Amino acid sequence: MRKAILTYALILASVLSFNVAGQNVSDLIISEIMPATDSGIVDDYGRRNGWLEIYNKSQGTVNFAGCYLTDDRSDLKKCQISKTDSRTKIGPRQVSLFHASGDSNDGTFYIDFEIVRGMTVYLVSNDGRTIIDSLSVPATLPCGKSAARVANDIRQQNWEPVEGGLDPSPMAVNGQKGKTSGSEKLAHDDPYGLVLTVVSISVVFTALLVLWWLFALLGISLGGAGKDKKPTAKNGNGKMTPEVAAAIGMALDRELGGEVYAAIALAMHRYMNDTVHDKESYIITIRHNQSAWNNKEQGFRKYPR
Amino acid sequence: MSQIFSSLQQFWQFTGFCNMTFQHLVMIVIGIVFITLAIKKEWEPLLLVPIGFGMIIGNIPMFPGLNIGVYEDGSVLNILYQGVRQGWYPPLIFLGIGAMTDFSALISQPRLILIGAAAQCGIFGAYLLALALGFAPNEAGAIGIIGGADGPTAIFLSSKLAPDLMGAIAVSAYSYMALVPVIQKPIMKLLTTKKERLIRMPAPRAVSQKEKIIFPIVGFLTTAFIVPSGLPLLGMLFFGNLLKESGVTRRLAETARGPLVDVITILIGLTVGCSTQADKFLSTSSIKIFCLGLLSFVIATTCGVLFVKFLNLFLKEGRKINPLIGNAGVSAVPDSARVSEMAGREADPGNHLLMHAMGPNVAGVIGSAVAAGILLGFLG
Repeated sequence: MRKAILTYALILASVLSFNVAGQNVSDLIISEIMPATDSGIVDDYGRRNGWLEIYNKSQGTVNFAGCYLTDDRSDLKKCQISKTDSRTKIGPRQVSLFHASGDSNDGTFYIDFEIVRGMTVYLVSNDGRTIIDSLSVPATLPCGKSAARVANDIRQQNWEPVEGGLDPSPMAVNGQKGKTSGSEKLAHDDPYGLVLTVVSISVVFTALLVLWWLFALLGISLGGAGKDKKPTAKNGNGKMTPEVAAAIGMALDRELGGEVYAAIALAMHRYMNDTVHDKESYIITIRHNQSAWNNKEQGFRKYPR
Repeated sequence: MSQIFSSLQQFWQFTGFCNMTFQHLVMIVIGIVFITLAIKKEWEPLLLVPIGFGMIIGNIPMFPGLNIGVYEDGSVLNILYQGVRQGWYPPLIFLGIGAMTDFSALISQPRLILIGAAAQCGIFGAYLLALALGFAPNEAGAIGIIGGADGPTAIFLSSKLAPDLMGAIAVSAYSYMALVPVIQKPIMKLLTTKKERLIRMPAPRAVSQKEKIIFPIVGFLTTAFIVPSGLPLLGMLFFGNLLKESGVTRRLAETARGPLVDVITILIGLTVGCSTQADKFLSTSSIKIFCLGLLSFVIATTCGVLFVKFLNLFLKEGRKINPLIGNAGVSAVPDSARVSEMAGREADPGNHLLMHAMGPNVAGVIGSAVAAGILLGFLG
């Protein structure tokens, strides 16, 4: 019974985690809204409308077909985005632009309302109920500026509205203009590479120091470290020592090739020290010993009686 | 008659003889030298034979536009080359390495892990030198990783940071890995005294199965949390090792360390070789990369040996480490550990350092993957 519950719990957890981790419309945000102006970009009909941008902040492509855009909280299904247009996919960290012409019949990327100062635009999931994101256009937004958000973290997950608006950047990711790559930044900030070298070496040492500490601790807690090996018949008589094992390994290496060299030497060493290589169930078995690891009986499925 | 003659003339233009240049010839000769070294000297034959033959394939002079070259979209070689270009092959190689590596030597003597860290200085030494030679930081990082003595890591990082230099970097990394005994031994002898070479280290303790199973999980969590950008390499390395040590996934482990890694080794070697087309490969940059690669191995070996000598200043008699295992901190498994063994036996025929050297050697694999992750994080 407990096994069954555990199995169901695992399946449920997996299903839930897939839902959480998958790239879906919840990764979309309204990144920029521009009220109608006399200047700026024109739509396919030569008109200057307001426009809004949707940004995909995930690392995967997201399809927003069937989602809704609205300026009315009480009517979340005001303008549905085409369900059949293949262009409703946004690549990772890319934007899609919608013209606010007031008539969605103009095309897929046209919406049923116009954008004016003081309004809030909502992006609604394709269930028509869940608000994915919203962005307000301040009533005091200066002329020629757009209501926009920019990422305030390196992972570009947290997007904050910009006070006083932003210079419009249609079809471009906000705040990315003039940004340099890591390499360009380092070429400027650290031309001789000394800072990167010091930091990197420190990190490598830190990572491996932590491993050292963890495994020293693990060795002690499992009772392995610090145990002196008692001399056995094999290694105590002066004939069979780890050195002999290594020598045999070297000889075998000449015959068999480099890949098996270390494994054979180590296996022989273990065996000579009577540390029972058969604990490692199948790699190189010098002597067949029956144990929990190789007992066939324990591999059989046990049915309840 | 004239039609036959013009057809033959046209055919002649398609042949390699007509399109041959001196550079093609040089690259074909280099490929033959690689194959000869692999067969005669047995220097990394599993890699040098495919790379060498790949060089010959990639440098057959041909009429462009036949859609058969490695750089022509949609050609067979181009499709196979995507595994290198997009960085799919290196993590799969790491899966195989994890499934074939026994980390017992490291688990039994965790202090040797630090030697693996010290040897990574070769990467950053080469990075500094590459910057001084005028390479951009991303290119310098890709060149520096040669010092990790790890072919898959070098390919992985260069495919991300400097794809144009990948051919030269990969060939350089594998060439110097094959030359590990030639490069490392003189440095080790130069930096150690006779007395130091005679140091005998205590036999490593036995490692339980439980420790071996815990190692890949804890090792992965620790390193991946510190350097998430190294995830593809570290994840596959430790996953492969878990398959090996868990004791219940024998078939998967055997596939990972056997057929899978063999297939990927063939593909990676051949396509890297093919990518060294004369017009892209023979340049002053490639010559600089080869020089820097050699220097990075020298720096890595020097730092590893000197670090052990430094550690010995703080260790009691009987706990001292033989500096001849310092070179094994580079991740050329098991070649650099074998060099330690040979150098140790030359000084004292009864002193076998192989088991001890395997510790820093496998630590070097982890260390180079961590270093690659750091460089990718900063320079990507």
